[in-house]
Amino acid sequence: MSYGKKDEDADTGLVKVDRTQVFQKARLFNSSPIQPRRCRALLTEIALLLYTGEKFPTKEATTLFFGISKLFQNKDASLRQMVHLVIKELASSAEDIIMVTSTIMKDTGGSTDAIYRPNAIRALCRIIDATTVQSIERVMKTAIVDKNPSVASAALVSSYHLLPIAKDVVRRWQSETQEAAASNKSSGGFSLGFSSSSSNLPVNNSTMTQYHAIGLLYQMRMHDRMALVKMVQQFGAAGAVKNPAAITMLVRLAAQLAEEDPQLKRPMMALLDGWLRHKSEMVNFEAAKAICDMRDVTDAEVSQAVSVLQLFLTSPRAVTKFAALRILHNFASFRPQAVNMCNQDIEALISNSNRSIATFAITTLLKTGNETSVDRLMKQISGFMSEITDEFKITIVEAIRTLCLKFPSKQAGMLRFLSGILRDEGGYEFKRAVVESIFDLIKFVPDSKGDALAHLCEFIEDCEFTKLAVRILHLLGLEGPQTSQPTKYIRYIYNRVVLENAIVRAAAVTALAKFGVGQKDPEVKQSVEVLLTRCLDDVDDEVRDRAALNLRLMKEEDETATRLVKNDNLFALSYFEQQLVMYVTSDDKSTFQAPFDIAKIPVVTREQADAEDKTKKLTATIPSLKPARAGPTKAAPSGAEAVASASVAAQKHAHELMQIPEMNEFGSVLKSSPLVELTEAETEYVVTVVKHIFKKHVVLQYEVKNTLPATVLENVSVVAAPSDDEELEELFIIQAEKLETDIPGKVYVAFRKLNGGASLPVSTFTNVLKFTSKEIDPTSDEPEEEGYDDEYEVAEFDLTGSDYVVPIFAGNFAHIWEQVGAMGEEAEETLQLSSVKSIADATEQLAKTLSLQPLEGTDVPVSQTTHTLKLLGKTVNGGRVVANIRMAYSHKSGVTTKITVRSEEEGVAALVVGSVA
Amino acid sequence: MAAGLFRKVYDWLLRTFWATEMDVTMIGLQNAGKTSLLRVLSGGEFTLDSIPTVGFNMKRVQRGHVTLKCWDLGGQPRFRIMWERYCRGVNAIVFIVDIADIALLPMAREELHALMEHENLEGIPLLVLGNKSDLPDKLSVDELIDAMDLKNIAHREVSCYGISAKEETNLDAVLQWLLKFANR
Ligand SMILES: Nc1nc2c(ncn2[C@@H]2O[C@H](COP(=O)(O)OP(=O)(O)O)[C@@H](O)[C@H]2O)c(=O)[nH]1
Ligand SMILES: [Mg+2]
Repeated sequence: MSYGKKDEDADTGLVKVDRTQVFQKARLFNSSPIQPRRCRALLTEIALLLYTGEKFPTKEATTLFFGISKLFQNKDASLRQMVHLVIKELASSAEDIIMVTSTIMKDTGGSTDAIYRPNAIRALCRIIDATTVQSIERVMKTAIVDKNPSVASAALVSSYHLLPIAKDVVRRWQSETQEAAASNKSSGGFSLGFSSSSSNLPVNNSTMTQYHAIGLLYQMRMHDRMALVKMVQQFGAAGAVKNPAAITMLVRLAAQLAEEDPQLKRPMMALLDGWLRHKSEMVNFEAAKAICDMRDVTDAEVSQAVSVLQLFLTSPRAVTKFAALRILHNFASFRPQAVNMCNQDIEALISNSNRSIATFAITTLLKTGNETSVDRLMKQISGFMSEITDEFKITIVEAIRTLCLKFPSKQAGMLRFLSGILRDEGGYEFKRAVVESIFDLIKFVPDSKGDALAHLCEFIEDCEFTKLAVRILHLLGLEGPQTSQPTKYIRYIYNRVVLENAIVRAAAVTALAKFGVGQKDPEVKQSVEVLLTRCLDDVDDEVRDRAALNLRLMKEEDETATRLVKNDNLFALSYFEQQLVMYVTSDDKSTFQAPFDIAKIPVVTREQADAEDKTKKLTATIPSLKPARAGPTKAAPSGAEAVASASVAAQKHAHELMQIPEMNEFGSVLKSSPLVELTEAETEYVVTVVKHIFKKHVVLQYEVKNTLPATVLENVSVVAAPSDDEELEELFIIQAEKLETDIPGKVYVAFRKLNGGASLPVSTFTNVLKFTSKEIDPTSDEPEEEGYDDEYEVAEFDLTGSDYVVPIFAGNFAHIWEQVGAMGEEAEETLQLSSVKSIADATEQLAKTLSLQPLEGTDVPVSQTTHTLKLLGKTVNGGRVVANIRMAYSHKSGVTTKITVRSEEEGVAALVVGSVA
Repeated sequence: MAAGLFRKVYDWLLRTFWATEMDVTMIGLQNAGKTSLLRVLSGGEFTLDSIPTVGFNMKRVQRGHVTLKCWDLGGQPRFRIMWERYCRGVNAIVFIVDIADIALLPMAREELHALMEHENLEGIPLLVLGNKSDLPDKLSVDELIDAMDLKNIAHREVSCYGISAKEETNLDAVLQWLLKFANR
């Protein structure tokens, strides 16, 4: 139900209820003695208004609220229930609601199974605030383990809402929650517990309480992985929990744990396998989906899940078939061969009367099938294309688009299909999907170009979407001049100038110009000139300007014009954007003394851009190791984003460091490392370090958090000892004066490079925290006079070669690899990464550890067994560093890599290799 | 059987034509004993570990055909601003003072006088109760009247009693006083 927006349809068929009238009538609440029946009716009207999105202004709400509070403790149980319901809804808009806390609290307790108890609990948790949560603690703890499931559920769900408001208090209810999750209330014994007077109350036999309890437990333990593992294992054991929704949640949790920690993959997989055989379908589906979505799942691991789904395909219930098919469809996108075994059953569904099922059946087969079945399936779809919604149409178009790239020889049939549906009715998203697919054909399947362009020309003759028309015109401008009959396209384009809105006209003018500039055929050039000249009279400024500019350029003899109009090179756009953002958001005024330097932005040719685009498109749908997931995932940042986020971090640091006068003479920071954790997250003192590299200095920035309650640390410093003191000399330490509980502070240790700016010292640091610890006097809230000095040793960390490199982007790897190889050095290392469980993981980790930028889309491995990762970066001194990493995966030995690094500067190649060895 | 029916009809008549409900608000600083007093009045047990009232607390006290709806308001500063709202239109206001906690008397006096200034509350009878008379070092009623400056409260009927919720002393007098204002 939507509370946010007024639901216009809600009161059709019901009595018309008006807010002002209801408010007038509310005087009833003050009349004495109370009339329960009339009050209930009025409360129902208020509830109706609130539930359908009506909002009482604060003053009215407050008046109502106080009126209603007169009704408390009435003998009429139904009235009491209504009171709680309405109070709960008014809680967000009325003032001084805290007043009713004690009174509501009374209705939450007691051994009676009064109907209003769950309502009272829910209302209570809406009116309470962080400062008063403590006073309801006892009530909540008892309610959570109440034998009445409605009461327990109300308490659990309310705790869930209270958790963000009062984390520490609610966390203390863990053992009660645990008990609620474990209790398999049996309906038989339970109903005996009712006294005869309440036997007319509805009996709640649901086990839903377990779902609520497990949901709450998860929220409480979210940041403690070991606790979560224990929870999954305890409640995941056969029979421990009855409720299917609760188990479904455990399934998701198990999948998440397996994803986050490779060590856990095996035990979690075992649980998931067990759930495939659970007696509830809901659980089976969730488990099958989790297994299919698992990163790098092997054919053997997934086969059980696929056969369970296969069984469901023959279920008599449409919804079951649909659910199974949808999971298989997704999975077939990246592992078609694993779904092959179901082809026969799926085949039986392609003419199912439920079109959603038929659509998924066909698109799945398009993925799993071979070239020969394509034509037949396309014919089948054409039969009911008009009966399905745009959303499903898009699914089909997406499937065909990948097929085009996979089986170029089938292009003619597919193009016919695409152009056919382009003429059908449909919304923007659908049309866009079709147009994009045709674009891909033109780009990647040269044989289709002529026909495809013709279809697009025809489409813009009658295209209601300006955005699409503009894109198609642009494409015609790019491709048209290179065809044998450019004049054919000129006619279509010029039609747009005559018939369309200004945006399309402007695009058409630009497209036309591409036929004129640098045109060798004088006749064509002449006719473009005539057409553009007519555009000089257009009513729109932009159209006229473009026409004038291009006419002028057409008359230029030299290459300039061609370079301007027909430039096929692009800037590396994401990098460009990120550099611009950094420039305009700089806090340092001196940045703006020099204009933005566009020469620093790498240029990629259209060919390169297309190649990268194709890899991306193929990997997004056909074999990829990182499947698209239905659930929420934290997507790993792409290469360019990673560069961007690294430099944003660097900028943040740079700003902080600039505020420290002692470091002003160091100049600007050249590179800041990612954060390194030196303690576990749960220890007394949580310490992290960031390594900052300056021209002649290295600064270690420690962040220290004191998690001990009621203590303060004073004069906190870190003794950081490098293993090798011939290259680094400590200059000074900046202490953190005072660290209160849970408020982190920073300690800086600065070193000078003894061998000058060009040297890149590497070393291992041991780190000891030193401080004075003082307890807080609970009566005065002030720290005691006397503290005691203490030390605390945290983990070591390395300053490595990769701390001196920053990732940079370029379009072409081979060229740079040769260039750097010709003048620089090379170092090589073969490594056995036995703890890394997949090629995808290795790729991600190596790029990160080496601090280099993956090029040519090699950050997304296509094969599960072998991969070549190409990386580029430069040192803080400016010399380029290139790496070529070949890797192979085997089940027995994990990932074997051969890393070859080349550098322009002396010694750097070996240093960089050293940071992973 | 018939007698039973007659009894029911009689009860109903009584409730409908004679029964009166009256509203009484009980206020005072926290820890004065408001919640305890109300619990005892409505037939409950006295307990030493009473938890502070968050907001208010409402109980019915039945005496003959009169039902006293008693509103016991929280005494913490954050709730005091709301006393006035709950005193509007009631039949009587009861202000409770802990007579064994002399240090708090000035604050109690200030709060009471501030409340009595409100025009809305003009004319509403006030009963000041010195609670905890069972404790050794306590004020007498006369001392309390002075300490609370009750002589200077105008425009209403004002009385002052010493009571003990714990020992249940003088509670009948309290009820009698309140019942005087039932039919108005
Ligand atoms: N000795 C004694 N203690 C009392 C008496 N009345 C209340 N108390 C105690 O005073 C404390 C506060 O009582 P409470 O009713 O919660 O006060 P409230 O804040 O005004 O509601 C409790 O510990 C009671 O047990 C009384 O008549 N005699
Ligand atoms: Mg109280």
